[in-house]
Amino acid sequence: MADVLPHEESWQLLPWLANGRLSPSERARLEEHVRGCALCARELAQQQLMCRALTEPERVTYAPGPSFRKLMERIDGHRAARVSAARPATARAAAVRMAAAWRPPGLAWAASFLLVFACGAFAVTAYRWTQPLYATHTTVSASAADVLHIAFVPSLSIGDAGKLLREAGARVVEGPDATGIFGVTPVASAPGAAPAQQASREMRALAARLRADARVRWVEPLATAAGTDAQRQPPHR
Amino acid sequence: MKADSNSDHGVTELGVRVASGTAHEVELIARIAVGDRKAFEELYNLYHRRMARFLTRLTRRYDVAEEVINDTFWVVWRKARSFRGDSQPSTWILGIAYRKARNAFRASARLAEKNLEAELPPLTSEGPASTEELRDWLGQALAQLPVEQRLAVELCYELGHSCEEIAAIMGCPVNTVKTRLFHARAKLQKLLPQLATPAAAVPATVAPSGTAVGGEALPER
Repeated sequence: MADVLPHEESWQLLPWLANGRLSPSERARLEEHVRGCALCARELAQQQLMCRALTEPERVTYAPGPSFRKLMERIDGHRAARVSAARPATARAAAVRMAAAWRPPGLAWAASFLLVFACGAFAVTAYRWTQPLYATHTTVSASAADVLHIAFVPSLSIGDAGKLLREAGARVVEGPDATGIFGVTPVASAPGAAPAQQASREMRALAARLRADARVRWVEPLATAAGTDAQRQPPHR
Repeated sequence: MKADSNSDHGVTELGVRVASGTAHEVELIARIAVGDRKAFEELYNLYHRRMARFLTRLTRRYDVAEEVINDTFWVVWRKARSFRGDSQPSTWILGIAYRKARNAFRASARLAEKNLEAELPPLTSEGPASTEELRDWLGQALAQLPVEQRLAVELCYELGHSCEEIAAIMGCPVNTVKTRLFHARAKLQKLLPQLATPAAAVPATVAPSGTAVGGEALPER
């Protein structure tokens, strides 16, 4: 007969007797203890109940496909960013040489920069002092941004992006910039053509349509009186 | 894993299943290390279901669970080459997942705990009507545990890991795992006294004839 485990040690090992992952010798010793201990026997029953409750198949399962595709987009986007960052060695060397040729040494560089900045700041301020103040006869009320910034998934072609924008009722007014971000506006409203409130509504509606499209990775949050609209995470780099 | 004695059929069968599953996962990781996307997808699918289930139960948000799973497999994709096979694939992968989950849970735990205290069903003298109902209660009770205790419970009861494996996954000593589970069990009993109702529990190691799996007769209680 195997040695019987002390009660405290037995109590701690009961979860693994319940899930069947004790070594054979530990299991034998623990079962011997449980046979003679009502407390541990009752506790073992509870542990087995928990195991059954947590391992029983659920009615709702989660399909891995969409999550896996998101992960692969992230992997492919990261790889593309690394590739574009890797310039040819000769071009890199030339850039380094050029930068070195233009860089004065140490403190002289810092002092020169500060002097130039100070002179520039003084010149701008002096110019402004000499100019009369102008006031407009109308005031422009605060409104939502005129341009909405978005980013597409990397795999989207130019043609598909154009089609997406047409379907969403948007047109490109900026970009793409170096990070692939476009600035778009609703097709229906030209800047200044509609009252600010209506333009703001149209912009928010456009943002909502674009956010709902899985081919749009990121939509800029729009500032409102109540705060920032809900947004997706900015594109991974 | 070689066969154990006749009295350990359950452990033997589990041991053989674990061994063959482990070998297949080791092979998948080796293929992933050279950029095999099909192998990567297969391994992802193998782990997604089990991880999504317990992570969603703990966070109550599939988007958080999905983020943890994808963050974990992002690391698997990039570090597959560094997997030497000195631990089981599940230990390695779940170890990464544990660290990712811990950070995610700490961020969402404050919000979750505020809501869940109001959501626990009123305690009655009746036991759970079904295992499904008990699982729901357990899910809510688990969300009130500290992150490390929560994860230790899931790794043990749902994913069926041994104490040593859980210690490897969580990066802590074996005694720490035992302590975490000890405290988790005590708190769960306080939150769910229905678990302590003898009528709700059926000992599974005792066969209808009253003998244990090993064939020896148990004393009458």
